[in-house]
Amino acid sequence: MSDLRITRPLTPQPALRGCTRLVSRAIRLEALPEGHVIQVLGTPHAPLAMERLAPLSDGAPQAVRAAGPGQWFIVGDRAKTHAELGDILAALQPEAFGVDQSAGRVRIRASGPMVERMLAKGTAVDLALTRFPVGEATTTLVGHIAAHVTRIGDEAFEIMVLRGFAQSLWDDLARMSAEFLED
Amino acid sequence: MTPYRLAAGGLIDRRAHLSFTFDGKPLTGYAGDSLASALLANGRLLVGRSFKYHRPRGILTAGAAEPNALMTIGRDGRTEANTRATMQELYDGLEARSQSRWPSLAFDIGALNGLLSPFLGAGFYYKTFMWPAPLWEKLYEPFIRKAAGLGTAAHVADPDAYEKCWAHCDLLVIGAGPAGLAAALTAGRAGARVILVDEHAAAGGTLLSETARIGGLPAPAFVAQTMAELEALENVTILLRTTAVGWYDGQVFGAVERVQKHVRVPAAARPVERLWRIVAQKALLATGAEERPLVFGGNDIPGVMMAGAMRTYLNRYGVAPGRQVAIFTSNDSGYALAADLEAQGIVPEIIVDSRADASPSYAGKARIVTGAVVSDAQGGKALSAITVLRNGQTETVKVDALAMAGGFSPIIHLACHRGGKPQWSDAQSAFLAPGDLVGLDLAGAVATTAGIAACLAEGARTATALLEQMSFNATPATFGTVEGDIVSAPNPVPARPLWTVPGVRGKAFVDFQNDVHRGDLDLAVQEGYGHVELAKRYTTNGMATDQGKLSNVNAIGLLAEARGISPADVGTTTFRPFYTPVSFGALAGPHHGHDFQPVRRSPLHDWARRLGATFVETGLWYRSSFFPRVGETSWRESVDREVLNVRAHAGLCDVSMLGKIEICGHDAAEFLNRVYSNAFLKLPVGKARYGLMLREDGMIYDDGTTSRLSENHYVMTTTTAYAAGVMNHLEYCAQVLWPDLDVRLASSTDQWAQMAIAGPKARLILQTIVNEDLSNDAFPFLAAREVSLFGRALHGRLFRISFSGELAYELAVPAGYGESVAEALMEAGAPHGIQPYGVEALGVLRIEKGHVTHNEINGTATAADLGFGKMVSTTKPDFIGKAMVGRPGLVDPERAQLVGVLPLDPTTSFRTGSHILAQGAAATLENDQGYVTSSAYSPHVGSTIGLALVTRGAERHGEAVMIWNGIRNEFTPGRLCDPVFVDPGNEKLHV
Repeated sequence: MSDLRITRPLTPQPALRGCTRLVSRAIRLEALPEGHVIQVLGTPHAPLAMERLAPLSDGAPQAVRAAGPGQWFIVGDRAKTHAELGDILAALQPEAFGVDQSAGRVRIRASGPMVERMLAKGTAVDLALTRFPVGEATTTLVGHIAAHVTRIGDEAFEIMVLRGFAQSLWDDLARMSAEFLED
Repeated sequence: MTPYRLAAGGLIDRRAHLSFTFDGKPLTGYAGDSLASALLANGRLLVGRSFKYHRPRGILTAGAAEPNALMTIGRDGRTEANTRATMQELYDGLEARSQSRWPSLAFDIGALNGLLSPFLGAGFYYKTFMWPAPLWEKLYEPFIRKAAGLGTAAHVADPDAYEKCWAHCDLLVIGAGPAGLAAALTAGRAGARVILVDEHAAAGGTLLSETARIGGLPAPAFVAQTMAELEALENVTILLRTTAVGWYDGQVFGAVERVQKHVRVPAAARPVERLWRIVAQKALLATGAEERPLVFGGNDIPGVMMAGAMRTYLNRYGVAPGRQVAIFTSNDSGYALAADLEAQGIVPEIIVDSRADASPSYAGKARIVTGAVVSDAQGGKALSAITVLRNGQTETVKVDALAMAGGFSPIIHLACHRGGKPQWSDAQSAFLAPGDLVGLDLAGAVATTAGIAACLAEGARTATALLEQMSFNATPATFGTVEGDIVSAPNPVPARPLWTVPGVRGKAFVDFQNDVHRGDLDLAVQEGYGHVELAKRYTTNGMATDQGKLSNVNAIGLLAEARGISPADVGTTTFRPFYTPVSFGALAGPHHGHDFQPVRRSPLHDWARRLGATFVETGLWYRSSFFPRVGETSWRESVDREVLNVRAHAGLCDVSMLGKIEICGHDAAEFLNRVYSNAFLKLPVGKARYGLMLREDGMIYDDGTTSRLSENHYVMTTTTAYAAGVMNHLEYCAQVLWPDLDVRLASSTDQWAQMAIAGPKARLILQTIVNEDLSNDAFPFLAAREVSLFGRALHGRLFRISFSGELAYELAVPAGYGESVAEALMEAGAPHGIQPYGVEALGVLRIEKGHVTHNEINGTATAADLGFGKMVSTTKPDFIGKAMVGRPGLVDPERAQLVGVLPLDPTTSFRTGSHILAQGAAATLENDQGYVTSSAYSPHVGSTIGLALVTRGAERHGEAVMIWNGIRNEFTPGRLCDPVFVDPGNEKLHV
């Protein structure tokens, strides 16, 4: 081993740095903190109960979201330490495996009275509250970009996207929101 | 001047003056006008020239089917050709220009074509320009192209925004006329999610042109009242200025909303047009009916107009069509117009009714001639007289306006968009929608229902039935008594169509837009093109922007009479989306220019940018191509430096975009053993292995390394190009082929910033940030483990793998830390000469080492072809590709095999794609022995080097060949060699 050691202050760079919040009475668009995202890989044959996963989350409403048959995301605003992540992944065993996607997925919150209209410019999913109630989540295309959409409130959605596409999705959402940003 | 504005009446605001120009001349209209009504009110009868004969043309309709009044609106990037004046709302500052004329609308040189018309009939071009053949390309086609076309597009970019949007509803109502309004109200009150679309700026459809009273209110006031109730319902969405243009699979309807086509300067934050994709559980078509023209001589002279359109101009826009008006009708509807004209003080000069037995309930003053026809109209740029033919006797009547009422054709287009064929009904004298529609019903005039009261009732009733199918509790909306309904009898006898008007002398137009007249259809039948699809192509009837909305049914009737068969036997041409033309802007939406496709950014993108990287698009990724330095004059100079530096010192390359797939599960090892052709069952924890994936047909699919991070957890790397494909392939294998295996898959490509650190100094540099011992004993070639960095501040994954052939590692850290870590490595490596390198250098390094990529894994190469024969297990019970890998064609000794290529003279060069010829062989395809799959200048070798797939290449090392570039006719004498140009013994990998 070399004697030379570099121990420098490490600063993570958010994917959406520089994307300032866009706010009007009609719409609000903001990048969420790059906290934690854990992809839970169960099996379609023996789905996990929500009760099994909820205790592993930070406890916020809608912290656990469905992501396809037997799969879930556990998300939260606080970044987990390496040890905390290890504990969660271990706790998922033996029924499920966990994959840390905290850096691989970026979350954007879109809210406001016009949020359904805005998102309808990108997704073919029917987002009416009666069809897509709070807590419902799905994977869909927003324009050309695949994203995971969760309803977190009557007029609020969280959109999770692959990090590499985050800037493009933000640009798209900003453009889709433009007409509602003129108060 | 004949048409003029009435002093009162109509739905226009006479206090709101709007200025506009037509062919540069300033004119004024009122708010509520269409461009067409404003032109008429200004006495502008002549508004365009016809396409082929350049005949003077006036406004024919008041709606979407307009074939004549096509104008160019706006200027520069907002130029919009072929705008229908009938559909264009007037706005202050509107600029309209007529088309198909030169030098001016009034004096048009092209009208000379009219003199040549005896020679310009259907099929003229086919017959005339057949010979001499060489002239077609050089003379005829350019000439015809110059003369052809409707309007001229601008050559500057459109400055406005376009948008696409989805919408969902229980019931979609298409058309806001009486049937549509009644349906929407019924559904809205029942609580269903309703979308009501109408192509006009104002809802109401024909009600806006009616003089009837509904429940005591004038029809337009009734519309306003109904719309107010609909607007107050939260579950009802009203989309005006929105044309439903297509019905597609999955109950998706396409519709185009003209959001800001009625304003001079659109607001920048909103689109000018919006393409809606409406998913409707059920849909109701309430699109009404199109009035048919009558085919008599000179029926295209300005001043001749559809009777229904004339009612609209009169009642809705307060524009009288002329002072001396005649009506030519084949049914009762013409008399409603007569009554309306008289109410405005214009007594028609004559009503010509083709029915000998006509008995209309008409109490007006106009002279009625039954059993008669208008055989010809006279006039040039304006109508002056008509010839009335009755019992062989002709009479000339001086008129300045003529209305024609040839009966109605239901607007069933959307009902036929999914393949259904219109059905001819003798009883209704009309083509009706297919009878077996699912998810779509019809109400109102589109279902041949006549009269306001009947349409209102049918709309409400049909909506109720559709709602009940969706388990809504609905009650049909009811409305007050309709006074002055246009239908007097409860069950009116439909008009008998009058296809062939007798005694015609002049040109009797069937298709106004394409200048197809009756003689053309007769000619088509005579010459054997009587089939409706052939007649369309032979005559061009029903083509271009209006797609035969006015002409198709008349053409079918005339073809039927010419062939002596029923219209049912003639049939229709195929109805396809779009119902009306859709702009490219609406179809493209926001996806053009910078937004054509999304960008996928590496977590090291900004780091590379700061170091001056030149980027290259690789799929959606932007990869650093090379890092030019001050003083370097060509990309080659930069790349050569980067390559030499890696071999001499060390380099850092962003490889984040390589696919990374987490493979978990208790059967993950078995899964990999079946997916790869080489053995994976016994790969130890902490080790990586190069794997080869075959397709079922035995060819190589993809390659990469897979590392075992723990007992039941692997991470696979794929090529950048195949990342998504391999993920899909693995999912398919796990879900479909072997559902019994416990395997779970997740893409983690975006989670990690991954960098290759390659070169003899790689270990020295890396060790400065990695806590674990990286000595060759502790972390040997193909080691793969989680490591801690910077004390224990960060954890990453470290793989000792090499694409360059040097001592090399790939370090993966959580993406957000990528830039910090890359900077730390550059800082630590500075004393050791580290430099960043891009994909160009990466490519050179791998060619020098003889590593293959998808240039070589080209879909026709087997493992053995590329020298990986030993990686195809002979002992495993099964793996994908095993069954086919031994077939004779894949073990043929003559197959092309991977080989290196060098030029004999190092100062000469060759290109990728060049072919290999045996020495002395003629340059023919028969002598082709393979081709260069990859090539680069190798600073290590000092010349161009290549990899090639050449017949029996593996046993021909040292053989002189000719490298032939057939496209550039270049010949480079060369020599086949070992494909590994650097460190063939792999000693560097193990230091």
